[in-house]
Amino acid sequence: MSLISARELTKRYPGVTALDALTVDLEPGIIGFVGANGAGKSTFIRILLGLLPQTSGTVSVLGFDSQKDALELRQFVGYMPEHDCLPLDVSGTDFVTHMGGMSGLPFAAARERAAEMLRHVGLYEERYRLIGSYSTGMKQRVKLAQALVHDPRLLLLDEPTNGLDPAGREEMLELVMRTGREFGIAVMVTSHLLGEIERVCDHLLAIDNGKLHYSGPVAAFTQQTQHLVLELDDDVPAFADRLRHAGLEVSKHGYELHIAVAGDEMYDTVRDIAAELEVPIGRMEVTRHRLQELFAQMQHD
Amino acid sequence: MTEPRAAGTIYDLGYQRYAGPRLGRNSAIANLIGYSFRAAFGIGRGPKAKLLPMIVSGVVFLPAIVQVAVASATGRPELVNYANQLNFTAFLLALFVAVQAPELVVTEKQQGVLSLYLSRPMTATDYAMSKMFALSGAMLLITLGPQLFMFFGKVLLSPTPWTLIKSEYPLLGPIIGGTMMTSIFVAAIGLSISSLAVRRAQATASVIAIFLVLPAASGIIRTVATGSVRKYILLANPILVISGFTNWLFDVQARRRAVITRLDLPGQAYLYLMIGVTVVGVATLVWRYRRQNA
Repeated sequence: MSLISARELTKRYPGVTALDALTVDLEPGIIGFVGANGAGKSTFIRILLGLLPQTSGTVSVLGFDSQKDALELRQFVGYMPEHDCLPLDVSGTDFVTHMGGMSGLPFAAARERAAEMLRHVGLYEERYRLIGSYSTGMKQRVKLAQALVHDPRLLLLDEPTNGLDPAGREEMLELVMRTGREFGIAVMVTSHLLGEIERVCDHLLAIDNGKLHYSGPVAAFTQQTQHLVLELDDDVPAFADRLRHAGLEVSKHGYELHIAVAGDEMYDTVRDIAAELEVPIGRMEVTRHRLQELFAQMQHD
Repeated sequence: MTEPRAAGTIYDLGYQRYAGPRLGRNSAIANLIGYSFRAAFGIGRGPKAKLLPMIVSGVVFLPAIVQVAVASATGRPELVNYANQLNFTAFLLALFVAVQAPELVVTEKQQGVLSLYLSRPMTATDYAMSKMFALSGAMLLITLGPQLFMFFGKVLLSPTPWTLIKSEYPLLGPIIGGTMMTSIFVAAIGLSISSLAVRRAQATASVIAIFLVLPAASGIIRTVATGSVRKYILLANPILVISGFTNWLFDVQARRRAVITRLDLPGQAYLYLMIGVTVVGVATLVWRYRRQNA
């Protein structure tokens, strides 16, 4: 049984098609879900939770029809929204206990699991304080704890590292990885940072303009999007022309040339052209495009 | 024999799966009603959230206590007047609902908690109705509570409690029915107005306007209007409607010069008006959350 299975899933708003005949099967694991702003990510998540009816097509989550069996399904799904979603004048422990009850857990079980989950995300004595006094990092942890309190089979995390400092990001990514690997809970996580997705996820789902762009192992996708960056002192247009002539995909950014990675012979080509034109190479580096740029580029094409 | 050290050792058991029962929708609804009911009194919240509901909950008992005390000191149990209790405390009920209805719905929308609720096993309609139940219940506590105090005070302070209870108990129906209807009516106004507001202060101001400005405005319009407008504009005053309803319920004749006497409507008219406003209010509330969800 697939974790998520969408067939010709379409969602139209007046004048906009948010999802366009999306057909995809996803297996349990840690799934990175990427797409530019407005690509249809939130729409897809809201349909998965049964919060939004699709225009046509079907989608099943954990074997439940996301529309017809929404209430049953939501007992087994944890959702951490991107935006603020915590009351400020309630303590962390009271709130997570309450959300456990809201997911169908009896009170004693909700209280016990709330304490466990808050410890798990790294909140100890602070959990008795009012949430309003928490730092952004602590609030993100409470958001994760409330999504885990009812032991979901699928966890939907929308930009869990947003607003965190680098150390906080690391810790949050660590928690997401542990949740997926050690706890055995399927995770679908959105992020606009490809680096994060690459580190944490084993599967990548990319949508663009409501259409499926890629679904498969993360490694295969990042290879496709790797770029060799050359920083040249001079003769940039000529260098670019020669590279294109050699059949490489090149884009020019001031004194930088970005070359789509295409096998090891590419390095020989670059070396030969540099020698021929006698242009010194200031810097040479393999980078991955940020997804935002990648999608912007795709829309150009 | 256990190792002495074992008692002080903390074991990290790792992540525990949950294999117990999942109670689903009804449990979620019960949970939200209970949580919101407690929130209406600031229970489980910071000290500031408790201030107003606790003061109001205490002060609504004052007229009841005074009536029972005077009745017992003078030996005239007829001085305990249930219809008066609601009239005396109508302003406090309005204040309570103006502050607590926004607390229950606007704050959750502003802070984004609503999106967590809607991703739980409940529908948008369930959410709206749970809030309606919780606030009506809270209002019932501060309307029915004092009246029951009056009822039992009157009975217990009487030299012949048993005789009095026999003559008094038919009043329990109007006491419970009247406070229930009033609570639902006031809660429906407060929640429907709040559900349309974006900010809390705006919601509070709008609810206050309904209970205080509308009566004043209707009074002013009345002085310039003529004919049936002059008469029926009084019904724009929700507190007057509650008075008309309770007077009818307890078969009390208002003073001859009171405006309500001039209105000269059959008592049931007030009840139907309250039911009508409640239905519109609840429909607005439900519509608002169903639309929010779409």
